[in-house]
Amino acid sequence: MSYILNRVFSMMLTLFLISAITFAVTNILPGDVAMMIMGTQSNPEALAGLRETLGLNDPLLVQYGRWVGGMLTGDWGSSLVFKEPIAPLLLQKMTASGLLVLFSMAIALTCAIPLGVWAAVHANRWQDTAASSTAMLGVSLPDFFWGIMLILLFARGLGWLPSSGFVDPGDDLGAAVRHALLPSLALGLGLMAHLTRMTRATMTGILKQEFIRVARAKGLNESTVVWRYGLANAVGPVMTVAGLQVGYLFGSIIVIESLFNYTGMGWLTYQALLNRDIPLIQASVFVIAAVVMLANLIVDLLYAVVDPRIRLS
Amino acid sequence: MKVPAAFRSTKGIAGVIVVVAVLAVAVFAPLLIPADWATRMDMRARLSPPTWAHPLGTDQLGRDLMFRVLLGAQTSIFIASAAVLMSIVIGLPLGLVSGYVGRTTDNVLMRLVDTLLSFPALLLALTISAILGPNLQNTIIAIGIAFTPFLARIIRGEALRVAQMPYVEAARTAGNSDLRLITLHILPNIMPAVIVQSTISLAFAILAEAGLSFLGLGTQPPDASWGLMIQASRDYLDRAPWTALVPGTAVAVTVLGLNMFGDALRDALDPRARGAA
Repeated sequence: MSYILNRVFSMMLTLFLISAITFAVTNILPGDVAMMIMGTQSNPEALAGLRETLGLNDPLLVQYGRWVGGMLTGDWGSSLVFKEPIAPLLLQKMTASGLLVLFSMAIALTCAIPLGVWAAVHANRWQDTAASSTAMLGVSLPDFFWGIMLILLFARGLGWLPSSGFVDPGDDLGAAVRHALLPSLALGLGLMAHLTRMTRATMTGILKQEFIRVARAKGLNESTVVWRYGLANAVGPVMTVAGLQVGYLFGSIIVIESLFNYTGMGWLTYQALLNRDIPLIQASVFVIAAVVMLANLIVDLLYAVVDPRIRLS
Repeated sequence: MKVPAAFRSTKGIAGVIVVVAVLAVAVFAPLLIPADWATRMDMRARLSPPTWAHPLGTDQLGRDLMFRVLLGAQTSIFIASAAVLMSIVIGLPLGLVSGYVGRTTDNVLMRLVDTLLSFPALLLALTISAILGPNLQNTIIAIGIAFTPFLARIIRGEALRVAQMPYVEAARTAGNSDLRLITLHILPNIMPAVIVQSTISLAFAILAEAGLSFLGLGTQPPDASWGLMIQASRDYLDRAPWTALVPGTAVAVTVLGLNMFGDALRDALDPRARGAA
């Protein structure tokens, strides 16, 4: 119990630090929100007036306090580009991206674990070379390059799937899945390559251990040894890496959603960055960092569930 | 000197060959190829597929893709190397101090680093670049800062491990100052880890530069980088897929080479990790 409390307190502290870093990074420039609302050619007096109204003349610490206070009370401000309140906008886009993240994780894990185990079982033979080389190639290609290949093949070439756009699952589930498939694949392929390498490395280590030899000596059949004894011990580390990859995924999602015109969180963040929509940049950067942190916390807690040897303390 | 076993494997040899070749292109291409060969427009051969006149085809302005990709190597490699160098210059002292001093300093620094790690590196780089204004120099700064926390974390772990070694204890007992211990006894022993990590970071930095430029928040024309070439190809994918394939392959080959080189280097320098993928 005290462990959970500890983690919650530590999480609060991290969230606070995330907000402080976000605020600091977005305030290192002389250009400000007033300038962005009125344009660089606006008259200086009107600009000064707007600055006063927006409170941009207050000390940074006061401005930061107001920003955090607003977020705590549910007032996230308005986007300058979309002219909409930020909080509902983020919620909607986060749902769209959530679909991509889940799909790509599912694609990556279902392929990477069998592939990695297969490579480890056949360590240093052709099967291993084939799987490892493919994985190596996978981590070496930029994911937007995967995206372009997928568009050329499945959208332009075969015409099976749409090359761009987003459909709300609430409106048309089938269309939503079809639109999410290519971007998820583009995200998932790179991820799969990382996880295959990780699974192979972990499994290679485990298969050399004593208890595996004992299990074999007991006459258990090989698949029980590999999957029940071996993989059970590899799940923890692989899951931790998968959790860490959520951060990587939320970086890639900006490029991939822009490429596929998939209007999710990454696309929104990109629009905010392009248009220097400071309030929206602050909010989306904060939310993404918070989600990544939460994902890692959840993985940490799950670790104890899969691996009973780990006692939470 | 004996060549380590790791570099006698197919992967190690291939890695060395690719890395040396790419570095050679980055250094010598600008000396051997006149700069205007990459900007000269052949209006009769716009979006031309590979031909004898243009072995790798041309882009939407009729510029030769082979020369563009060869000359673009320098920009991409330069940005990536400068960014990694920057992350080492900041991350190395940070990690060393954190790992060596320990206690409160370590707690505070690592809490900060862990928080920074919650920000996806690409998001951090994109944000910094957008805020500073995208250009070559700011792309370096953006990627450099974005990669620092990860490097600092790894160096801190290594410093912590080495600082507890008996020989460091012995050197301390012998009356060496902290500065001397760090620079003469700890630093040389964490260098293998730093070098391996730098090689891997270099691969990631090339991908990051490509990603940033692809989104228009990295290198800007007239500087030509591989990411920028892929970005320019977006509108012509249907008619001229080679405009994306040529620079994309250049990125892939370079990153693949660096990854293989990094793997071999790790196997050679860190016997504990041998056999790991």
